[in-house]
Amino acid sequence: MEFKKKKLANGLAVVGEVNKSAKSAAVGFFVRAGSRDENEQISGVSHFLEHMVFKGTEKLSTFEVNEAFDRTGAQFNASTSEENTVFYAAVLPEYLAEATKLWTELMRPALREKDFDIEKNVIKEEIAMHKDMPSYDVMERCRKLHFDAHPCGNSVLGSEESIGNMTAEQMRGYFGRRYAPNNMTLAFAGNFNWEEVCSVAESLCEKWQRQRVTRLAKDWRGSKKKEGIEKANLSCEHICLMSAGVSAADPRRFAASLAAVIIGADVGSRFFWELVDKAIAETAAMQFEAMEGTGILCSYICCPDKNTGQVLDTVRDIFGNLSQNGITEDELRKAKNKMLSALVIKNELPMERLVDLGSNWTYLQQYRTVEDDISAIKAVTVNDVNLLIKQLEPANFTQFSIGPTR
Amino acid sequence: MGQRLDKHILKNGMVLLGEPMEAVGSAAFEFMLPAGAARLPEGCCGAANVITDWIFRGAGERDSRRLSDELDGLGLHRSGAVNSSHITIGAVLEAGNLQQAIELYADVILSARLEDEQFEPAKQLAIEGVRALDDDPRQKVMLKVQEQFYPSPLGRSSAGNIDELTVLTADKTRKIIKSNFNLSGTIFAMAGKYDFGVIVRQMEKLFGTGAGKSMRPIKAGSKAGKYTHLHNEGAQVHIGLMTETVKPTDEDYYNARVAVSVLSGGMSARLFTEVREKRGLCYAIGARYHCLKEAAGIVCYAGTTPEKAQETLDCIIGEFNRLADGISEDEIERAKVGLKSSLILQSESSSSRAGATAGDYYILGRVRSLDEIKDKIEATSVDSVLGFLRNNKFGEFTAVTIGPREIAVK
Repeated sequence: MEFKKKKLANGLAVVGEVNKSAKSAAVGFFVRAGSRDENEQISGVSHFLEHMVFKGTEKLSTFEVNEAFDRTGAQFNASTSEENTVFYAAVLPEYLAEATKLWTELMRPALREKDFDIEKNVIKEEIAMHKDMPSYDVMERCRKLHFDAHPCGNSVLGSEESIGNMTAEQMRGYFGRRYAPNNMTLAFAGNFNWEEVCSVAESLCEKWQRQRVTRLAKDWRGSKKKEGIEKANLSCEHICLMSAGVSAADPRRFAASLAAVIIGADVGSRFFWELVDKAIAETAAMQFEAMEGTGILCSYICCPDKNTGQVLDTVRDIFGNLSQNGITEDELRKAKNKMLSALVIKNELPMERLVDLGSNWTYLQQYRTVEDDISAIKAVTVNDVNLLIKQLEPANFTQFSIGPTR
Repeated sequence: MGQRLDKHILKNGMVLLGEPMEAVGSAAFEFMLPAGAARLPEGCCGAANVITDWIFRGAGERDSRRLSDELDGLGLHRSGAVNSSHITIGAVLEAGNLQQAIELYADVILSARLEDEQFEPAKQLAIEGVRALDDDPRQKVMLKVQEQFYPSPLGRSSAGNIDELTVLTADKTRKIIKSNFNLSGTIFAMAGKYDFGVIVRQMEKLFGTGAGKSMRPIKAGSKAGKYTHLHNEGAQVHIGLMTETVKPTDEDYYNARVAVSVLSGGMSARLFTEVREKRGLCYAIGARYHCLKEAAGIVCYAGTTPEKAQETLDCIIGEFNRLADGISEDEIERAKVGLKSSLILQSESSSSRAGATAGDYYILGRVRSLDEIKDKIEATSVDSVLGFLRNNKFGEFTAVTIGPREIAVK
């Protein structure tokens, strides 16, 4: 593995990890633009803009973009979160320069009115699709309740209304503020020639103008409110619990990940033994999500609605026991084994490696090898996790539930 | 590519396969047990899911907790699935722990404790799994369309049927396990970093003495019908569509795969272009090749708001039928590049390779090398794909919709 980096005069960071034994290579643009950077009038614009990037440039139509990517055999897509918009492609090494050129050109999209109007329909369909996914719906509603007025509670998709009222002009304004070179990272992983892809990026990006970019990055402990709704067409109770976490730059993030594995990994965790193994809940899982300046511990539980009370009592017992007695050495050892092997296996694929590489640069401006992360996980002690649980108080959660009409 | 494929068959007929991968430190393995949904006795739909859970609730000298702790201790990531023909259980882990993991899995397969008190929660979870599917119409519609498309019992729901699960007993389930965990129909496949000689010796010791009995083919009956609508007051109409095509053993298999790729391989493919890019009818739209040993089809999903549902379905079927009218050289080239590229990208993952190896052996009786697949894709052309489409016109479409509005399959 060899790490490469270059910072262009306009602030664009280009980073790469070369692995000559890989059969493929991956490229991605990581843009610090997400729903937390939006206000009510433009709710959903980051995600809508991600779609619009695929609609082409002044020189390329939508169809030409899709054809050009498909000619490289790329597995390519993009995703938008509260924090970031990421555009990526995994290809055979000989096609990496072409895929890089395409993405780089697309980072200056035409944002045509006609495409904007057609794509509005697709976004509205995506919103409708997620309404039929209670597991997603409950998380989004809980996030809003948890973060209250903090921007990390903003919806990624926006609403039918905000999308309906949005103008292309508003999107262009947002694009100008967020897609600045000093707010983006271009990353490469796998088997590739650094000089070649770097020169593609340089020649196409050097004219991009640096901007002053801001983001509100306050920590937030959560509203701790508890709410729920009923929907006549549902069969199960869907419950989301959210409590404070730590930020993506916090050294305690490894302890937080291990705590989430101990509490809520899909097998062998406290949730598993107390809720799933006993068939009280069909699913019960916790994840730690690190964000810029803040973070959350987030649990999703799906159970028969008649078990809701028992589920919540059990969860309270689990959290109570954790804050009183802490975790055991044995639990920590197993959690580390799970996390370490997942890390190693995941990073065998250039596409997966790209995500870690780009995220670390976005959040930390730092290159971390897989071995760095392995060492950090190994170094976490029982005391670290117990202290963190005391600080974060997972028992003090925000709760949202969606279930069938009673 | 110089790819090596390892193979050894135990005296009882159990097949051991392996594909070494140089660049990885992981190993993935899976056991394909001939105990899938279509092999269940009538009235036991869903039993395979109960079995997949129950066998891990204690085996040999380890109780449920100890078994789980030891598996977790190996840093192993479990996988388990039920399909028409098999229950597949497997894992991916750091290669150094492979032998210990196989030892534990052998216990799960050969000496699961199958205790009465562990049966009820396993059964309850399977029932809740079926119920949870009601809240996931996208996944449910895909299971339903397969159930309706394949001749019964080939398409039988892998999730199960609540009524049949409710009356399922521990005794009945033990009998099913005894009859279906047949070593002569079991395939073990691994990929990644391993020593084949060492694993063969270990497998001989663990499984070599177990008896096998000859496997009977699954008897297929009739199809369930053309169109079913399941009413649900959701936001979208979820459309599942299937139509027949050739099996992997057919000489036209690669022509069919390229045709499906022209239809729905990448974002420049026909369905994405016509349904989403030009008309904005859907967010999610796609079709793929799907096969069992006995039959194969092209399966398609689309989700759309009620007022656009009929237009969406008509547009999709129109695109299927328009394929035989003509395909450009450029479209064929993109389809071929896409198929070859995804083959190589998947070959970097040890779990994908183990799965592909086992699947090939079951369906074809041999494992294809990546080079063979690449060459066969390369050998297709506009003429061969069009020739195939014209000689094999899409016949009837089987459709299932879930949502607030029923539509017509014309």
